[in-house]
Amino acid sequence: MTAPRGRAPLILEVPSRTEFLAVVRDVTRAWAVVAGFARADADQIALAVDEAATNVIEHAYAGAGDKIVELRYEDRGEDLRVDVVDHGRAVDPREMPRVDLDRYVTERRKGGLGVHLMGKIMDSVTFRRSGRRNVCSLVRRKPEGSPGAP
Amino acid sequence: MSELQVESRELEGVVLLYPKGFLNAHTVRLFESEIQRALDDQRYRIVVNCAGLTYIASAGLGALMGVIEEIRHHGGDIRLADLNETVRNIFEILGFNHLYRIFPSEVEAILSFREEGEGGGPVG
Repeated sequence: MTAPRGRAPLILEVPSRTEFLAVVRDVTRAWAVVAGFARADADQIALAVDEAATNVIEHAYAGAGDKIVELRYEDRGEDLRVDVVDHGRAVDPREMPRVDLDRYVTERRKGGLGVHLMGKIMDSVTFRRSGRRNVCSLVRRKPEGSPGAP
Repeated sequence: MSELQVESRELEGVVLLYPKGFLNAHTVRLFESEIQRALDDQRYRIVVNCAGLTYIASAGLGALMGVIEEIRHHGGDIRLADLNETVRNIFEILGFNHLYRIFPSEVEAILSFREEGEGGGPVG
Protein backbone atom coordinates (compact mmCIF):
# COMPACT_ATOMS: atom_id res chain seq x y z
CA MET A 1 0.00 0.00 0.00
CA THR A 2 1.30 3.41 -0.84
CA ALA A 3 0.64 6.32 1.44
CA PRO A 4 -1.14 9.17 -0.33
CA ARG A 5 0.99 12.12 -1.33
CA GLY A 6 -0.13 15.65 -0.82
CA ARG A 7 -2.34 15.05 2.16
CA ALA A 8 -4.51 17.94 3.25
CA PRO A 9 -2.60 20.15 5.66
CA LEU A 10 -3.22 20.13 9.35
CA ILE A 11 -3.82 23.60 10.73
CA LEU A 12 -3.46 24.44 14.39
CA GLU A 13 -4.10 27.79 16.01
CA VAL A 14 -2.94 28.40 19.55
CA PRO A 15 -3.01 31.46 21.80
CA SER A 16 0.31 33.28 21.99
CA ARG A 17 1.09 32.07 25.49
CA THR A 18 3.94 29.82 26.47
CA GLU A 19 1.69 27.34 28.30
CA PHE A 20 0.42 26.30 24.87
CA LEU A 21 3.90 25.27 23.73
CA ALA A 22 3.12 21.86 25.22
CA VAL A 23 0.23 21.53 22.77
CA VAL A 24 2.47 22.57 19.88
CA ARG A 25 5.08 20.06 20.94
CA ASP A 26 2.63 17.17 21.36
CA VAL A 27 0.79 17.78 18.08
CA THR A 28 4.02 18.17 16.14
CA ARG A 29 5.54 15.03 17.55
CA ALA A 30 2.43 12.95 16.85
CA TRP A 31 2.17 14.32 13.34
CA ALA A 32 5.81 13.57 12.57
CA VAL A 33 5.44 10.00 13.80
CA VAL A 34 2.36 9.48 11.63
CA ALA A 35 4.38 10.81 8.69
CA GLY A 36 6.98 8.12 9.21
CA PHE A 37 9.67 9.63 11.41
CA ALA A 38 11.25 7.66 14.22
CA ARG A 39 10.37 8.92 17.67
CA ALA A 40 13.80 10.42 18.26
CA ASP A 41 13.53 12.42 15.03
CA ALA A 42 9.95 13.38 15.81
CA ASP A 43 11.13 14.72 19.17
CA GLN A 44 13.68 16.91 17.41
CA ILE A 45 11.15 18.22 14.91
CA ALA A 46 8.79 19.02 17.80
CA LEU A 47 11.61 20.95 19.44
CA ALA A 48 12.31 22.96 16.30
CA VAL A 49 8.64 23.92 16.00
CA ASP A 50 8.50 24.73 19.72
CA GLU A 51 11.43 27.10 19.16
CA ALA A 52 9.73 28.78 16.20
CA ALA A 53 6.52 29.27 18.19
CA THR A 54 8.52 30.57 21.15
CA ASN A 55 10.18 33.14 18.89
CA VAL A 56 6.78 34.31 17.72
CA ILE A 57 5.48 34.70 21.26
CA GLU A 58 8.58 36.40 22.63
CA HIS A 59 9.69 38.51 19.68
CA ALA A 60 7.02 39.04 17.02
CA TYR A 61 4.31 39.47 19.67
CA ALA A 62 6.69 40.78 22.35
CA GLY A 63 4.99 38.64 25.00
CA ALA A 64 1.42 39.74 24.26
CA GLY A 65 -0.78 36.79 25.19
CA ASP A 66 -3.91 37.75 23.27
CA LYS A 67 -2.64 36.91 19.79
CA ILE A 68 -2.75 33.78 17.68
CA VAL A 69 0.08 31.58 16.49
CA GLU A 70 -0.90 29.59 13.44
CA LEU A 71 0.86 26.37 12.54
CA ARG A 72 0.29 24.78 9.19
CA TYR A 73 1.59 21.24 8.83
CA GLU A 74 1.99 19.74 5.40
CA ASP A 75 3.15 16.26 4.43
CA ARG A 76 4.57 16.77 0.95
CA GLY A 77 5.56 13.18 0.36
CA GLU A 78 9.31 13.46 0.39
CA ASP A 79 9.38 15.93 3.25
CA LEU A 80 7.40 17.62 5.97
CA ARG A 81 6.85 21.34 6.06
CA VAL A 82 5.61 23.41 8.95
CA ASP A 83 4.76 27.07 8.50
CA VAL A 84 4.64 29.04 11.73
CA VAL A 85 2.65 32.19 11.05
CA ASP A 86 2.05 35.31 13.08
CA HIS A 87 0.68 38.81 12.62
CA GLY A 88 3.26 40.50 14.80
CA ARG A 89 6.02 42.94 14.07
CA ALA A 90 8.17 42.24 11.05
CA VAL A 91 11.09 39.98 11.79
CA ASP A 92 14.23 40.66 9.82
CA PRO A 93 16.23 37.45 9.50
CA ARG A 94 19.37 39.58 9.41
CA GLU A 95 18.59 40.50 13.01
CA MET A 96 18.99 36.90 13.98
CA PRO A 97 22.27 36.62 15.83
CA ARG A 98 24.76 34.05 14.69
CA VAL A 99 25.64 31.76 17.51
CA ASP A 100 29.21 31.41 18.62
CA LEU A 101 29.19 29.32 21.78
CA ASP A 102 32.45 30.76 23.07
CA ARG A 103 31.08 34.27 22.75
CA TYR A 104 27.92 33.13 24.42
CA VAL A 105 29.81 32.17 27.52
CA THR A 106 31.80 35.37 27.77
CA GLU A 107 28.91 37.66 26.90
CA ARG A 108 26.34 35.85 29.03
CA ARG A 109 23.97 35.84 26.12
CA LYS A 110 20.83 33.79 26.11
CA GLY A 111 19.12 34.68 22.84
CA GLY A 112 19.60 33.24 19.39
CA LEU A 113 20.02 29.66 20.46
CA GLY A 114 16.54 28.75 19.30
CA VAL A 115 17.10 29.80 15.70
CA HIS A 116 20.46 28.07 15.74
CA LEU A 117 18.84 24.89 17.02
CA MET A 118 16.11 25.06 14.38
CA GLY A 119 18.77 25.26 11.69
CA LYS A 120 20.63 22.28 13.09
CA ILE A 121 17.52 20.10 13.26
CA MET A 122 15.70 21.02 10.06
CA ASP A 123 16.96 20.77 6.49
CA SER A 124 15.65 24.24 5.72
CA VAL A 125 14.51 27.20 7.82
CA THR A 126 13.33 30.35 6.05
CA PHE A 127 11.68 33.55 7.21
CA ARG A 128 9.58 35.79 5.02
CA ARG A 129 7.11 38.63 5.32
CA SER A 130 3.84 37.98 3.50
CA GLY A 131 1.46 40.94 3.67
CA ARG A 132 1.17 41.63 7.37
CA ARG A 133 2.24 38.18 8.36
CA ASN A 134 5.57 36.65 9.27
CA VAL A 135 6.00 33.13 7.99
CA CYS A 136 8.73 30.86 9.28
CA SER A 137 8.92 27.72 7.14
CA LEU A 138 10.60 24.63 8.51
CA VAL A 139 11.28 21.66 6.24
CA ARG A 140 12.65 18.25 7.13
CA ARG A 141 13.20 15.48 4.58
CA LYS A 142 11.73 12.10 5.39
CA PRO A 143 13.99 9.18 6.02
CA GLU A 144 14.25 6.69 3.18
CA GLY A 145 11.58 4.01 3.31
CA SER A 146 9.06 6.05 5.28
CA PRO A 147 5.53 6.61 3.90
CA GLY A 148 5.65 8.82 0.81
CA ALA A 149 9.43 9.15 0.86
CA PRO A 150 11.24 8.55 -2.41
CA MET B 1 0.42 19.56 37.59
CA SER B 2 3.18 21.88 36.48
CA GLU B 3 5.17 20.89 33.41
CA LEU B 4 8.37 21.24 35.41
CA GLN B 5 9.32 20.61 38.99
CA VAL B 6 12.78 21.28 40.37
CA GLU B 7 13.92 19.76 43.61
CA SER B 8 17.28 20.58 45.13
CA ARG B 9 19.52 19.33 47.88
CA GLU B 10 23.11 19.67 48.90
CA LEU B 11 25.70 16.97 49.33
CA GLU B 12 29.38 17.40 50.08
CA GLY B 13 29.20 21.08 49.24
CA VAL B 14 27.61 20.40 45.87
CA VAL B 15 24.15 21.71 45.05
CA LEU B 16 22.14 19.04 43.28
CA LEU B 17 19.25 20.11 41.10
CA TYR B 18 16.62 17.68 39.90
CA PRO B 19 14.53 19.16 37.10
CA LYS B 20 11.62 16.89 36.32
CA GLY B 21 9.47 17.31 33.23
CA PHE B 22 9.71 19.80 30.39
CA LEU B 23 12.16 22.68 30.38
CA ASN B 24 11.24 25.32 27.85
CA ALA B 25 10.28 28.99 27.60
CA HIS B 26 7.22 28.36 29.76
CA THR B 27 9.01 26.70 32.64
CA VAL B 28 12.53 28.12 32.52
CA ARG B 29 12.05 30.73 35.22
CA LEU B 30 11.59 28.07 37.86
CA PHE B 31 14.86 26.46 36.78
CA GLU B 32 16.65 29.81 36.68
CA SER B 33 15.42 30.70 40.14
CA GLU B 34 16.80 27.45 41.58
CA ILE B 35 20.21 28.15 40.04
CA GLN B 36 20.07 31.73 41.27
CA ARG B 37 19.28 30.57 44.78
CA ALA B 38 22.50 28.55 44.78
CA LEU B 39 24.46 31.56 43.56
CA ASP B 40 22.87 33.81 46.17
CA ASP B 41 24.16 31.35 48.77
CA GLN B 42 27.58 31.46 47.11
CA ARG B 43 27.32 27.83 46.11
CA TYR B 44 29.16 27.49 42.85
CA ARG B 45 29.42 23.75 42.52
CA ILE B 46 26.25 22.58 40.88
CA VAL B 47 25.21 19.24 39.46
CA VAL B 48 22.06 19.08 37.38
CA ASN B 49 20.72 15.57 37.53
CA CYS B 50 18.77 15.25 34.29
CA ALA B 51 17.28 11.80 34.96
CA GLY B 52 13.78 13.29 35.19
CA LEU B 53 14.22 15.79 32.41
CA THR B 54 12.16 14.68 29.46
CA TYR B 55 12.74 17.66 27.24
CA ILE B 56 14.92 20.74 27.03
CA ALA B 57 14.49 23.66 24.64
CA SER B 58 16.87 26.54 24.00
CA ALA B 59 15.43 28.50 26.91
CA GLY B 60 16.76 25.87 29.28
CA LEU B 61 20.12 25.78 27.55
CA GLY B 62 20.22 29.57 27.71
CA ALA B 63 19.63 29.42 31.46
CA LEU B 64 22.78 27.32 31.79
CA MET B 65 24.74 29.62 29.50
CA GLY B 66 23.60 32.75 31.29
CA VAL B 67 25.31 31.87 34.57
CA ILE B 68 28.22 29.66 33.64
CA GLU B 69 30.82 32.36 33.41
CA GLU B 70 29.93 33.78 36.81
CA ILE B 71 30.08 30.31 38.30
CA ARG B 72 33.42 29.46 36.74
CA HIS B 73 34.77 32.86 37.72
CA HIS B 74 34.19 31.79 41.31
CA GLY B 75 35.98 28.50 40.77
CA GLY B 76 32.85 26.44 40.41
CA ASP B 77 31.04 24.70 37.60
CA ILE B 78 27.72 23.33 36.44
CA ARG B 79 27.99 19.66 35.64
CA LEU B 80 25.34 17.47 34.17
CA ALA B 81 24.48 13.89 34.94
CA ASP B 82 22.22 11.11 33.76
CA LEU B 83 20.93 12.63 30.50
CA ASN B 84 18.42 10.63 28.53
CA GLU B 85 18.98 10.15 24.82
CA THR B 86 16.68 12.97 23.74
CA VAL B 87 18.30 15.54 26.00
CA ARG B 88 21.80 14.30 25.20
CA ASN B 89 21.08 14.66 21.48
CA ILE B 90 20.12 18.29 21.94
CA PHE B 91 23.29 18.99 23.88
CA GLU B 92 25.36 17.37 21.16
CA ILE B 93 23.55 19.15 18.33
CA LEU B 94 24.48 22.49 19.87
CA GLY B 95 27.97 21.47 20.93
CA PHE B 96 27.13 21.90 24.61
CA ASN B 97 28.91 18.63 25.31
CA HIS B 98 32.13 20.59 24.68
CA LEU B 99 31.17 23.37 27.09
CA TYR B 100 29.84 21.29 29.95
CA ARG B 101 31.14 18.15 31.57
CA ILE B 102 28.56 15.41 31.33
CA PHE B 103 28.63 12.33 33.55
CA PRO B 104 26.73 9.06 33.36
CA SER B 105 25.69 9.36 37.00
CA GLU B 106 25.18 11.93 39.71
CA VAL B 107 27.76 10.23 41.91
CA GLU B 108 30.46 10.57 39.27
CA ALA B 109 29.60 14.23 38.80
CA ILE B 110 29.87 14.88 42.54
CA LEU B 111 33.13 12.98 42.78
CA SER B 112 34.58 15.03 39.95
CA PHE B 113 34.33 18.09 42.19
CA ARG B 114 35.91 16.26 45.09
CA GLU B 115 38.85 15.26 42.90
CA GLU B 116 39.49 18.92 42.26
CA GLY B 117 39.82 19.62 45.95
CA GLU B 118 38.48 22.55 47.86
CA GLY B 119 37.24 25.76 46.28
CA GLY B 120 34.14 26.91 44.53
CA GLY B 121 32.59 28.63 47.51
CA PRO B 122 31.58 27.52 50.98
CA VAL B 123 31.43 23.80 51.45
CA GLY B 124 28.58 22.75 53.58
